[in-house]
Amino acid sequence: MTSRGDLNVECRMSNVECTTRWLMTTIALTVASGVTATPARAADPAGTAYRVGKVVTMDAADTVINNAVVLERDGKIEKVGRAPEVDIPSDYRIVDMPDHWLTPGFVDAHNHTAGSLRDLNDMVYLTNPGLRTLETIVPESELVKQGRAGGVTTVLLIPGSGTNLSGFGTLSKMGGESVDQMVVKSPGSLKIAQAGNPERYWFRVGRTFMNYNTRQTLEKARDYHLKWEAYEQQPDRADEPEYDPIWHEFRGLFRRDFPVSVHTQIYQVMMTTIDMLTVRLGLRTVLDHCTFDGYKIAPLVNETDAYTINGPRQYHFDRTERRMNGNAARWWQGGVRTLGINTDAPVVPEEELPYQAAMACWYGWKPYEALRGLTIIPAEALMLEKDVGSIEVGKQADFGLWTGDPIDPRSACELTVIGGKAVYDASKERRF
Amino acid sequence: MNHPEWIAAYRRAGASRRLLTCVALLLAVASAAAAPPEKVALVGARIIPVVGPDVDRGTLLIEHGRIAAIGKDVKIPYDAMEVDVSGKVLFPGMIDPHSWRGLDQPNESLPVMPYLDVYDATDPSRLFFENALRDGITTVHVVQGNDCVIGGVTRVVRPIGLSLAEMTVAERVGIKLSTSPKRGFDRMLQMATLREAFLELDDYLERLAEQKYEEKLSKKEKKIDVGPKEARQRGRELIEPSDYDDAHANLVQLTRGQIDAWIYAGAATDVAPAIKIARDHGFLERTVLVLGPECFKAVDDIKASGRPVVLDDELVYRERDPLTGKLTETFVPKVFADAGVKFALQPSPDASLPERYLNYQAARCVREGLSRDAALRSITMNPAEAIGLGDRLGSLEVGKTANVVVLSGDPLNFNSWVEYVYIDGIRAYDRSKDPRLAELLGEEPEGEKKPPAEGEKEKKAEEDPAAKPDAAGNGKDATQGDASGGKSQGEKPGEKKDAPPGVRRPAHRDGAEGGE
Repeated sequence: MTSRGDLNVECRMSNVECTTRWLMTTIALTVASGVTATPARAADPAGTAYRVGKVVTMDAADTVINNAVVLERDGKIEKVGRAPEVDIPSDYRIVDMPDHWLTPGFVDAHNHTAGSLRDLNDMVYLTNPGLRTLETIVPESELVKQGRAGGVTTVLLIPGSGTNLSGFGTLSKMGGESVDQMVVKSPGSLKIAQAGNPERYWFRVGRTFMNYNTRQTLEKARDYHLKWEAYEQQPDRADEPEYDPIWHEFRGLFRRDFPVSVHTQIYQVMMTTIDMLTVRLGLRTVLDHCTFDGYKIAPLVNETDAYTINGPRQYHFDRTERRMNGNAARWWQGGVRTLGINTDAPVVPEEELPYQAAMACWYGWKPYEALRGLTIIPAEALMLEKDVGSIEVGKQADFGLWTGDPIDPRSACELTVIGGKAVYDASKERRF
Repeated sequence: MNHPEWIAAYRRAGASRRLLTCVALLLAVASAAAAPPEKVALVGARIIPVVGPDVDRGTLLIEHGRIAAIGKDVKIPYDAMEVDVSGKVLFPGMIDPHSWRGLDQPNESLPVMPYLDVYDATDPSRLFFENALRDGITTVHVVQGNDCVIGGVTRVVRPIGLSLAEMTVAERVGIKLSTSPKRGFDRMLQMATLREAFLELDDYLERLAEQKYEEKLSKKEKKIDVGPKEARQRGRELIEPSDYDDAHANLVQLTRGQIDAWIYAGAATDVAPAIKIARDHGFLERTVLVLGPECFKAVDDIKASGRPVVLDDELVYRERDPLTGKLTETFVPKVFADAGVKFALQPSPDASLPERYLNYQAARCVREGLSRDAALRSITMNPAEAIGLGDRLGSLEVGKTANVVVLSGDPLNFNSWVEYVYIDGIRAYDRSKDPRLAELLGEEPEGEKKPPAEGEKEKKAEEDPAAKPDAAGNGKDATQGDASGGKSQGEKPGEKKDAPPGVRRPAHRDGAEGGE
């Protein structure tokens, strides 16, 4: 058990707040030990009941429930409701956190830390079809543990942006003892980087070549897909096309089974992304970063179904307007409503995802929309909205319990739950 | 740590948020789609059509983006919007015939890259395009820079539009080549690489033809029955346009005369090889020569080739005798004008030099003794013909695209301001709504315009070598009357950043143009 002395060493807050935390921890531990003492512990509990002060469900009706109970069973959400209206079965373990907020686990659409950072980017060619991050996942790494301490439960692990096409990303949970336990979906996306980092490849390449090269790579992939599709529709009409492992995984991309994650920012680059990938190639598009003056492209983005996942840079100083612009706020003003936030961890630590959202709000975005931008919006962007992103019956029991509004930087995540299992419990192993 | 206010707010917001979203979206769509008036009559100005005599106090009628009528007694349709531009001058939108400034960088690093397209790197948010409007340029031919052996295909754009689709006037206009050494190359390597590219093309086409013939036979389950030479001959007709790969498709079009050649020759010695390579591969008739200042020495060769040329923005060639130290200065356009070669001027890529203004360049020509007509054509009609759009652009004629610059005075008077720019009949620029210009000049925009202080005017006149009495039309003073469309009286500068109706263009990228 943690002693007060240990806490003081780790605590980065003022003495007063430290003492408060210590007191809270002590209380929490007392409660926890109370729970341990119940006989249900002896026989494994059938489920868990979370008694909390507030549930921000992030469902379509924007439901917020005060003094609520969330029942979890078999890793799924069984019931959500006001405390008096939910009967807690007697064989359920009860987590009693009446002052806390329960929010959906955060989803980060742009992450590099669920895998080994040494394998961030195999910069063989400017476009590298055939690579994927599935092979790089490291379960229970220190960075994964750190990330979920910030309430992050699902990430899209994608390769780096040193090359225009760096491989397939993997949708992964922030908990699990093995790769199989962690992985939700592979490929989770195709990573494409336009301009910026890939320009440093070799003796510097420009946008005429990079865009040409990326396009012709994708067109090859599309042709392969169309050949197979034609064959599958009418198998008698033609010979079976040759199987090519390099191109086969692209089929899901053109079937829109998973999106393309695009490292894109700056007006012209975002314009090309929309034109080339979303409109001409018809890909489901997740625009990542979307920084600098990218927000000026909003009218074109609004003509498509692309998702805009902004970050980690939350502001942009426009030298001609001579003012700071909050990127998320400007996208919002431009009418973009499928707007989320990412960290690009480790560029910004994964656990600071809500802090990014807080910055977006400081620069003029709205807190509730920002919370949506951490949960249901990226879940939709990554096509996981049936499983995660909101607190609704039947969805996976992924959530964070916070001392207050997660968008308020003063709030702390006290408990992170993935699939019904506590993967971070501040009362046992406080990280912040 | 409770936030009762906004918690309550977002619970309320459930329904109203969606409503607001809808309203905001509707507004956005409505403002983006605000169509320009279909018919506009510009009344009372001196019209300089470039291809004919000037019309004093004439009317220019624009209908559906084209010039419908020009003259003194034009009947204005009842549904046309009338704009009083009396005292002003109407001039064709000027044309930048050759510029990489809309691109992220002039060239890629490999020498032979004919598969590129400037489409992939043209940035509508460049300050360059906004400045083009300010300078009265309505058409820009975006071409890769000169640091190449074979560059990509080019595109003609107008400097308005949020995307390339909106900007494009003509795509795949030309392909860039250079006979002057690329960086790191000498002349022999440059020419060897250029020759090799075309030899490789021939070889590729032969092999492709043979392959096509073989494929045809194999469909009938026959084996190849003739020698390779005959097979190639027979296979030639079997090739379809979709058979060419990216590396060769554009060069095939070039050699078939389906796309123009824009060949850069930086020095006089590079001119003959440029003409030779074009003649050898059958595209001389579709070649435009982009010349460095020294190329005037090869004027006879150029004249004999009969090709139009684009001159360097440096109009004066200076050469110092190594022995005596005597400096010889040659005014380059004069040499070409005297020889009867059709030339177009290009603005300087350096935005901080006065050579960036095409009308300044033309005025210098007049100062050096060229005819007014030749000077005006060199920034309008000649570049329009060079980019292959002479039938649509370059002059004020009935039926042509309504690209019109409304100047406060004569185009060759450097005291004249660009007041309005019409592109395809859309009012794309309005000086009274140009907050950046107002801020630079310390002027109050629209309605509160003050004449510049006398001292400033004199200073400007001194700086301007082109302010010749014969070239000057109506002076600056004529502009002081309120001749605007009268739409936006009393707007604050901050509110004027919106483009006029019908114009979609991004606010330009901030920061230095070169980098991110």
